[in-house]
Amino acid sequence: MIENAHIVRINVDGQERMTRLKTMLHVPGNRLGLITSIDGSQLVTLLLDTNTGRSTVWETPLSSDVYPSLTMMIPQCHWFERSTWDMFGLKPNGHPRLKHNLLHEPYDASLFPLKTDHEVESHDTDRFYKCLEVRGQGVYEIPVGPIHAGIIEPGHFRFSCLGEVILNLEIRLGYVHRGVEKRIVEVPLSRMRFVAESAAGDMIAANALAHAVAVESCLQIEESPRARAFRTISLELERIAMHVSDLGGLAGDIGFAAVSTSMAILRGDVLGCAELLTGTRFQKGFIAPGGISREPSDKNLSQLRTNLKKIQLKLKPIVDFLFSNQVARDRMTNVGILTPKLAADFGVVGVAGRASGIAYDARKSFVHGCFPRQNMVLPVQQAGDVLSRAKVRAEELRSSLEIIYEILETLPGGDTAGAHHDLRSLNRFKFKTNDCGIGIVESFRGELIHLFFTDGDGKIIRYAIKDPSVNNWTALAIAVRNNLLSDFPLCNKSFGLSYSGHDL
Amino acid sequence: MWQSMSTETFLFETARWILFAVITFVMPILTIGVVRKTRARMQGRMGAPLLQALFDLRKLMQKSEAVSSTATWIFRSGAGIELANMLLLSTLVPWIANKPDGVSSDLFLIVYLFALSRLFAILAALDSGSPFGAFGSSRDATLAMLVEPASLLALVSLAVVAKSTEMNVIFSLTNVLLAHDPGLWFLAGTAIVMASLVELSRMPVDDPATHLELTMIHEAMLLESSGRNLALREFTRALKMTVLFGLSAQCYLRAWDDFWHFPVVAQVWLSIGGILGLALLVGLFESVSVKLQWRKVPEFISYCMTLSLLAAMVAVARGVVH
Repeated sequence: MIENAHIVRINVDGQERMTRLKTMLHVPGNRLGLITSIDGSQLVTLLLDTNTGRSTVWETPLSSDVYPSLTMMIPQCHWFERSTWDMFGLKPNGHPRLKHNLLHEPYDASLFPLKTDHEVESHDTDRFYKCLEVRGQGVYEIPVGPIHAGIIEPGHFRFSCLGEVILNLEIRLGYVHRGVEKRIVEVPLSRMRFVAESAAGDMIAANALAHAVAVESCLQIEESPRARAFRTISLELERIAMHVSDLGGLAGDIGFAAVSTSMAILRGDVLGCAELLTGTRFQKGFIAPGGISREPSDKNLSQLRTNLKKIQLKLKPIVDFLFSNQVARDRMTNVGILTPKLAADFGVVGVAGRASGIAYDARKSFVHGCFPRQNMVLPVQQAGDVLSRAKVRAEELRSSLEIIYEILETLPGGDTAGAHHDLRSLNRFKFKTNDCGIGIVESFRGELIHLFFTDGDGKIIRYAIKDPSVNNWTALAIAVRNNLLSDFPLCNKSFGLSYSGHDL
Repeated sequence: MWQSMSTETFLFETARWILFAVITFVMPILTIGVVRKTRARMQGRMGAPLLQALFDLRKLMQKSEAVSSTATWIFRSGAGIELANMLLLSTLVPWIANKPDGVSSDLFLIVYLFALSRLFAILAALDSGSPFGAFGSSRDATLAMLVEPASLLALVSLAVVAKSTEMNVIFSLTNVLLAHDPGLWFLAGTAIVMASLVELSRMPVDDPATHLELTMIHEAMLLESSGRNLALREFTRALKMTVLFGLSAQCYLRAWDDFWHFPVVAQVWLSIGGILGLALLVGLFESVSVKLQWRKVPEFISYCMTLSLLAAMVAVARGVVH
């Protein structure tokens, strides 16, 4: 058993894993973080305790490439088991819909990119993929994508419809799989952060922070209070920019041009604030293990505060306009309902979770930036419809602005690079052998996990990234059932999920 | 016909037709331009130039075409048939004051020529083999079915008072039967504007600016068209918009007593102004309105239907008085 500040790593055998996981997940506050493997000879199950902020890694050694699937008992395992099959060739026996998530037909059937321990034997002759077929009189299929009309990422949606009503939606992802998890362990530590923050282009601050927290937790170093303050502002600015953008997107999807354009302009203003803080609008290269890479000037900071105040003044009437428009409310109410029960079963995180009665925000539980803040009030809604998700976003915009003001009020002085000033010298640091590091961050989409393992030489051999979209894509597919086909884009936008974050 | 015409009348008629042809080509471009420009300005953007639609047409005409492998001659000829039909309609519908008289202008003929256009649009969309075309057609047909009684009833109300179903007679500025009836004209005009918004797939029924295939109605039927085919369809649609806005503008103008006595030139200018004014209003409305949910669209059509019914009641009441 290895233990550091935030993480416990224990061995759990296969039989015990099955029985214990189910009972553990019944305890309120416990969550399944992710399921994966290190090199293909074991299963890794990450359990999170959101009450204490501690994480437990269960390592289950495997003797063969086949293991019993837990999906029928614990539905939220299904996506993890499918991805683990793709990456390591570990086949979950009894999985109800085992399909390839990430590696599509063109890839060689015997390719398991992250499996390193021994010779790979393939179970399949090809990577044939078949969407679930809904039969019945009048049922027809509509394939949408992978290339979409807007400037967005690729993903395939297969709708089975009866008239204008969606009976079933199958989502196929993986079109932007680019091997992030493999590449990240190949680059030196000092450059790892650039790969990490590229996992999803709109979650740069969150990914960079999760990476920094993970590395710091393993090295057992701490950033300076001033750097911590700036990291938090950076994370919250990203949240504000994206929530503004998502609310504008919702308005755009119901043809509410007045609100969508105003929001697009405001998002630009927020990104301008991010530039004042970090030097780039999308905050690339700002947060780094050990601290931050660039100290914002006092002039910029006071400018940042004035600009944010201005943005807040402009934001309120636009948000009110959106929520007070009767037709807009009508379009969002009772559409795309995700019931709290299903949200809990599928481990839904972030905005979608809080809109469906799940009172979980990593900012309340886990160490990152100035968090955890135990006294945070979460804007939990019970209805689980598009309107609830919009309301959660609007509430979080307010709380994020308050967090930033509060931090700017009480900005600590001192160094920003912490005790480890020279970020370039990061390569000198040596990880402990057979250790692991974890960073859990509440990105604007929800819980983001970076988890890595070191080998016998203290080198990182496995770096797993769990984007919040991994939990939520299934929730979207469930939420749109029995809704109107023409309401799908609205539901989709209300979840606001990432393709690249999922595909990695 | 030609023999009975003096040389002067012949020249005059020819000039009128040429002028009419020019207006028929320019107005659709301007109408689309005004709607788009208004939307852009309302959103705080400069927007594309007023003549952007013309530049787009030129660009599309030069592009090559990608045609679905399942498409037959129906898909290819659809666009041409629709445009021909729409051009014919533009000579029949009295959408501009002092329009040269066409062959016939029976209102039932006109309403069902519009339907004929739709038939070919639907056939072409189904022929392309794309699922978007299929559900777009289904939605388009559903809406057309719902809105047809409303637009027909508005025109029939006018016909009852004018004692003729010929549009040329109903809209004739020398027809005294309808000369002092602003209420009826206003009701009919508003019913036709609302019906046109449905007919043209504009807000609040459909968002013409959207890129989301699944929410589209009319656009979904155009997704498989490209190059010249698309250029023809886009122009047809703009022409349809002009003709429908023109028809309602004529109703509104006739609700204004002074209009009847203006000189011809002023009437033509006011007609053009009326179309562009309606385009401006539609642009303003589209900027602040929200698209209705598909199930709520019949509600909107029922408002339109109510106006038509009111117009019909006014018309019948007048019949009793006379």
